[in-house]
Amino acid sequence: MSTIPESFPERVGRTLRDGRFTAVILLLPPALVLFSLFVIVPLAESGRYAFFDWNGYGEPADWVGFENFERMFGHSVFHQAIWNTIKLVLVSLLVQMPLALALALMIYRKTPTNAVFRLIFFLPFILAEIAAGLIWSFVFDGNYGVAAGITHAFGGEPYFVLGDRTWAFVAIMTVIVWKYFGFHMMIYIAALQGVPQDLVEAAKIEGAKTLDVVRHVQIPLIKPAIMVSAFFAIIGALQVFDVIIPLTNGGPSNSTQTVVTYLYTFGLSRLKIGFGSAVGIVLFLAAVLIAVFYQRFSNRAVSR
Amino acid sequence: MADVQLRQIAKSFGSVEVIPGLDLDIPDGSFTVLVGPSGCGKSTLLRIISGLERPTGGNVSIGGRDVTRDEPSKRGISMVFQSYALYPHMTVAQNIDFGLRLAKTPADERERRVAEAARILHLESLLDRKPAELSGGQRQRVAIGRSIVREPGVFLFDEPLSNLDAALRTQMRIELAQLHERFDATMVYVTHDQVEAMTLADQIVVMNGGSIEQVGAPMELYERPRTEFVATFIGSPKMNLLPARAVGRSDARNAGVRPEHIRLDKNGGDWLAEVVVVENLGSDTVVYLESEDFGPLTVRVAGHQSLASRARVWLTPEPEHVHLFDADGVRLP
Amino acid sequence: MMKGGLARELLRLSVLCIVAAFVLGPLVATALGGFKSNLEIRTNPMGLPASWELTHYLGIIRDPSFWSYLGNSLVISLLTVFLTLLVGAAAAYVFAQIRFFGSRLLFSYLLLGLMFPFATAILPLFLKVRDLGILDTYWAVILPQTAFGLSLAILLFRTFFEQLPRELFEAAYVDGCGYVRFFFRFTLPLSTPILATVGTFVFVQSWNNFLLPLVVLNSREAFTWPLGMMQFRGEYMTAWNLVLAFVTLTILPAIVFFLAAQKYIVAGLTGGAVKG
Ligand SMILES: Nc1ncnc2c1ncn2[C@@H]1O[C@H](COP(=O)(O)OP(=O)(O)OP(=O)(O)O)[C@@H](O)[C@H]1O
Ligand SMILES: [Mg+2]
Repeated sequence: MSTIPESFPERVGRTLRDGRFTAVILLLPPALVLFSLFVIVPLAESGRYAFFDWNGYGEPADWVGFENFERMFGHSVFHQAIWNTIKLVLVSLLVQMPLALALALMIYRKTPTNAVFRLIFFLPFILAEIAAGLIWSFVFDGNYGVAAGITHAFGGEPYFVLGDRTWAFVAIMTVIVWKYFGFHMMIYIAALQGVPQDLVEAAKIEGAKTLDVVRHVQIPLIKPAIMVSAFFAIIGALQVFDVIIPLTNGGPSNSTQTVVTYLYTFGLSRLKIGFGSAVGIVLFLAAVLIAVFYQRFSNRAVSR
Repeated sequence: MADVQLRQIAKSFGSVEVIPGLDLDIPDGSFTVLVGPSGCGKSTLLRIISGLERPTGGNVSIGGRDVTRDEPSKRGISMVFQSYALYPHMTVAQNIDFGLRLAKTPADERERRVAEAARILHLESLLDRKPAELSGGQRQRVAIGRSIVREPGVFLFDEPLSNLDAALRTQMRIELAQLHERFDATMVYVTHDQVEAMTLADQIVVMNGGSIEQVGAPMELYERPRTEFVATFIGSPKMNLLPARAVGRSDARNAGVRPEHIRLDKNGGDWLAEVVVVENLGSDTVVYLESEDFGPLTVRVAGHQSLASRARVWLTPEPEHVHLFDADGVRLP
Repeated sequence: MMKGGLARELLRLSVLCIVAAFVLGPLVATALGGFKSNLEIRTNPMGLPASWELTHYLGIIRDPSFWSYLGNSLVISLLTVFLTLLVGAAAAYVFAQIRFFGSRLLFSYLLLGLMFPFATAILPLFLKVRDLGILDTYWAVILPQTAFGLSLAILLFRTFFEQLPRELFEAAYVDGCGYVRFFFRFTLPLSTPILATVGTFVFVQSWNNFLLPLVVLNSREAFTWPLGMMQFRGEYMTAWNLVLAFVTLTILPAIVFFLAAQKYIVAGLTGGAVKG
């Protein structure tokens, strides 16, 4: 070439002049700063504090190694919290998602009635968890609530399901299903509406019954949506907190703790920063593990 | 008003060399049309002139000034895109006005120029509409209006009419020719359309694989194509290429004859061929034939010609219109 | 065939109605409960009230702290939405429009927030907010919420921005419009659908957020409505009618908002979630 390619200073100069540099310098840092300051740095600090016994004042000085983790893993309440989280996952996968899928198949077509049902079913999802919890604590109240009305009508003794160690968590899972099935249903509806109608019609012309179409055409085609919803069910189960607080606050005798309520009760409200951070780290690792596992799983499903 | 000079322009995308090194002069006030097969680098070259693309080597001068390192907005050019690229959230008036505003043109001057452009392009009644409320031809006019208010020395067009239907295209073609006359500006125009190229250009640049095959006036390219590539690229239907022995020459490899330069006779002539398909266009007739010796041939005859399929006819080339090419595909004098 | 179709349709509708009753029952009981006397709640929790008592609702509407809770929530949510949209869109714009050394790395970095729950780092976050001296201020909620919302916002914005026609930028660029100006004059105005979708998502999240305000807000003046509601519940343990009236009044705006902007809410909450 007759001219030398642009030199480095020239290139910098041009980038400055055409405003690209200004744009990067002006538009990117706010996000970077906010994100680092309030997400990444706290996360990294969690990783450090988890090895200290510290109340949050002054500098963490009391290095305890893995003691926080040992205490946590040896704590029966933590076991209960894990077990409850697993129960939540199971209920999501085995009750909530089939229910949501069945309802989605009933109302995915665009008709006015279906639109009304869709709105109704989605409604609990937009309500605050805390309000949902409070509403249901009224429903379950053995003295005043709907439960009281029922026992009263049958002339039974007042019954407090939320005070019953065996049944309290079942009640909570009912609330969770009530709150979230509409969300999963909406994911399926969006996917079902994306299934080309001619595929369904072609199957019908070939003599397939409605159920056959569902099993062999629709469900296979919305598999990605089902996977996504399963992912959200699992990640969601890890985070349950708001609903529990008004319902049982983790009780009775810690039978309804989840990982986050555990973190809150034993770490935050007692200002045990080290211990709470250790719980946070476990939560983080679980979330990362699930995300990685999900990635692998969905990649394999897609490439198949 | 300005001329454009390209010197040793090269362009690579990563390791892919698109333009290996090319020189081109576009005279002041000319209407230069770039043609060539798809992917040969026409758009790339136009974008290098505009400054949207940086050449990997070489220089661009506009109006005698080296602008290789200048921003597009500082080059005194304007560009009309194939998709028009109208600003969807602005009215027609705002679309036309936008560049002037950025250039900090005084308000009264801006108003005057927008009104003038609207008048020339018959957009007066549409000034308050959004692009979505316009027809294809109207959008095209707005795009042109946007480029003329900036009073650039060089107008760049990348296939500006290809999204229009045939009738509109003809009409816009005439308007473009009038605009060129009115502004007396330099225009560089990329197209796929033979008719656009032949009718609009006073200089056609034929490109192939990132290089220039030939530069010349439309009739020059038609009458004296410098290479086989140009010969077959310009003109429709395509020029026939036969082995040179068909015209009794042994010093050339191929001989080219345009379909309109072959006489067709039922009784006698140079080559015997069999009719395959006859296309009657009304004003003239295109006959596709197959010759046992030289393969497929195309002939265009004036008026209406009735010929049965499979009929055997004689063909005779007009000797003064036979083009000869050597083994490299280059024209022999 | 016709008959079978009709029976099936009836079955379908009855299933849907039963589920709808399960969904709406608690909500209706709550709204009605606010009109009842405490005694009546006990004997007739689900039916219509014998006499409609407006006093509970009126009492709450006249309570200035109720409005202060809602006001705090509103200001916090709106500011969070504004900040997330502006900061997120600005960053996404850079990633969509400008290639520079390290941009992919920075992009992946900013997406890390998609990976883990908010609660993970809540303790150090609390300390950070405390050390910055913004405990008990709106910013204590707004800034962390914005930071945690950025990942999803940037992901969705970048996808959208990349779909804007490239020639639009080039035309404006030839006209003399620079990168920063293009962002404000073109990208933002042309992206209202995605801004609305992400905006509603962020708004609902912020409006409903409980854990973060619980941790960083201590004074009643700064309480958001979920905190106010829990406070109220604590004060009127046995006065269910008052509590139910309070709950009804706080979820009413959410329901109205939902009905008004359902398109964006559904798109934001499911679409946003799916892409995340
Ligand atoms: N941004 C880019 N990155 C990589 N390759 C590119 C880029 N832009 C163009 N090319 C390549 O450069 C070559 C020339 O492209 P160009 O768009 O200039 O062709 P063209 O002559 O305008 O074709 P058409 O008539 O189809 O518009 C093509 O092979 C194309 O694939
Ligand atoms: Mg092109």
